[in-house]
Amino acid sequence: MVVYFGSVLIGVVFFQPLGGIFDRFDTLRLRWIASLRNDSLTDVMLFVNLLASRWTIRALRWGTIAALVGFRHWRHLFVFLGSMLAAELVAYQISVLLGRSRPFGITIISPWEGYSMPSRPVVGLAASLVGITYALVVPGRPREISKWIVGGLILALVFARLYLAVDHPTDAGFGAIMGVAIPLVAFRWYTPNDVFPVTYRRGKAAHLDVGGKRGEAIRRAVQDQLGYEVLQIKPVGLEGSGGSTPLRLRVGATEDEPEQYLFAKLYAKSHVRADRWYKLGRSILYGALEDETPFQSVRRFVEYEDYTLRLLYDEGLPTPKPYGVVEITPEREYMIVMEFFDGAVEIGDAEIDDAGIDEGLQIVRKMWDVGLAHRDIKPANLMVRDGKVLVIDVFFVQVRPSPWRQAVDLANMMLVLGVKSDAKRVYEHALAAFTEDEIAEAFAAARGVASPTQLRSMLKQDGRDLVGEFRALAPDREPVSIQRWSVRRIIRTVGVLLLALGALLLVLQNWNAFA
Amino acid sequence: MVVLVAVGAALPACAGTYLHEPTCGSKDAKALILAAQAVPSATLLPCIAEFPSGWSYDGSRIRSGSAQFWLNSDRAGFHALEVTLTGSCDVSNAVEVTAGANQPGVRVYEEPISLPPTFQVNRYLRFQGGCVTNEFRFAAGASATLALEAQQALSFVSRSVLVERAREDTGLVLCGAEAPPCPG
Repeated sequence: MVVYFGSVLIGVVFFQPLGGIFDRFDTLRLRWIASLRNDSLTDVMLFVNLLASRWTIRALRWGTIAALVGFRHWRHLFVFLGSMLAAELVAYQISVLLGRSRPFGITIISPWEGYSMPSRPVVGLAASLVGITYALVVPGRPREISKWIVGGLILALVFARLYLAVDHPTDAGFGAIMGVAIPLVAFRWYTPNDVFPVTYRRGKAAHLDVGGKRGEAIRRAVQDQLGYEVLQIKPVGLEGSGGSTPLRLRVGATEDEPEQYLFAKLYAKSHVRADRWYKLGRSILYGALEDETPFQSVRRFVEYEDYTLRLLYDEGLPTPKPYGVVEITPEREYMIVMEFFDGAVEIGDAEIDDAGIDEGLQIVRKMWDVGLAHRDIKPANLMVRDGKVLVIDVFFVQVRPSPWRQAVDLANMMLVLGVKSDAKRVYEHALAAFTEDEIAEAFAAARGVASPTQLRSMLKQDGRDLVGEFRALAPDREPVSIQRWSVRRIIRTVGVLLLALGALLLVLQNWNAFA
Repeated sequence: MVVLVAVGAALPACAGTYLHEPTCGSKDAKALILAAQAVPSATLLPCIAEFPSGWSYDGSRIRSGSAQFWLNSDRAGFHALEVTLTGSCDVSNAVEVTAGANQPGVRVYEEPISLPPTFQVNRYLRFQGGCVTNEFRFAAGASATLALEAQQALSFVSRSVLVERAREDTGLVLCGAEAPPCPG
């Protein structure tokens, strides 16, 4: 089929006589179909042809956009819009390139517009319906049913347009293939079912479904690679996690250990991509504040976290004991497994006394002393169990960080503790481990993006100007700028702007195709 | 996000303008043949003979029932002239003028819309099976004599020439006037 349509394309573009052969072939088929014409069938076919009217297609697309916005399926929305745009642009440009007339030798009995190949109404309807199927219909039986319905509608439209002789058979066939293929490839590539399934449950895109085949794969992999029998897999702490799928695993007893809970973080390629975009955005917005080199694979992603986890654990910091990395699907999905702090609560939900304040500050002191920075000190990453402060989520840990980054860690820890008590009390405790200058440096550095989003929103909810109070307690210090300019930042910024401009020009250049 | 939604809203379905020039006597007759299909009754098709200095082509829109193209002028402005071929046209508000179209069988009518400094005139050229409407919409201050220049750019090609071209290229009939009847 593809070879056939490819040969039509090449033949029509490069060899005029070959175009004539296809025209004659198409006209013979059309005449055969037209021999079926009668008044009532013509009425039916004209009605079916309304499927491809611009108002039908607009209604379908607007409805889909509204639904995707309503359900906050942003990724699917972007892919839907992108694939519709691509389908229209490609169809329009090919039709201009080929400049194929409407069918000769037969009376056309339906309205039409522009050149005939590919059939742009067929492309429009097929792309819209396939886009809807992949953007809105949940995978499984509902989507299978939807595919059959879509196939039926496209076939009906193709037949109607041939009956009305408004398209050549090759135009309609080519249009149907193009209209199906473009959104299909886009959705399968950018929103694979196993990573971004269409669901109508609340949850973050970063959180993978751990039921079904993936759940089985996790159980098998943990058994084979770590020697634990997984009795239960339960997503936990989803609201505080945006970069992985955190899980609590209940594992069976072994010869050495009783039945217990383990904590695991599941990573997929989508997380690597998200990290890449996040770092690109930071490097454009702020410059090279710190190492913004993206990871190149999920394996390296998870290897790095395993390394930092072991490093902190070995240094005696109150972090979970590492259990190792589990390969779920080679180069696609990995899971890091560690101790589960059973009975621990997030610091935001715990009571903090003087000892707790000291422990939190000592975590930062210790990291300073061994040349580490956590880089993500926020309430969701500080747990309290039996009055003891524990630190989790060490993915962002940096070895030999800049003094700026270490200072930010201190400020963020003091702010978290300040929310749970008051600035003066935390400041006084901090003086036992840090000098006044160091604290002043910390609050000169802690500006805007330096504090995690969760901490910033917690401060906002708290209402007190804790940053101002700490700054008032510490010696005066000029604010530390977080803008870093470099040739690389300028090149990246210009590159992104040029790409955006190119995309905009592409749309504007083809605007008439849409208007 | 807003931009994407706006693009999505504008997403089409099925309209478009095309860049093939309907040039008289050109080997590439794609736009003219499509125009002939759009108005099967028309025995003449408007085409571009030669551009006077400062005039240029700006695309066409061809659909069943009508074929349009636009000319831009460096003095009269963007889309200073819109040429539309239809099966018929209403000349009840226009006056027949003797200035010919240099084409036998063509009757010319003019309908002034506004006079300089904003020159706007509709000029209708009626012939067997069709009508060409030339809408002059000049930018403020542009001289009305530019309309004479623009008219020099336009001519007609006979449908029979296109019917013959289609027969030579494909062995098939370009259905409509001056061609054998088509089935269906």
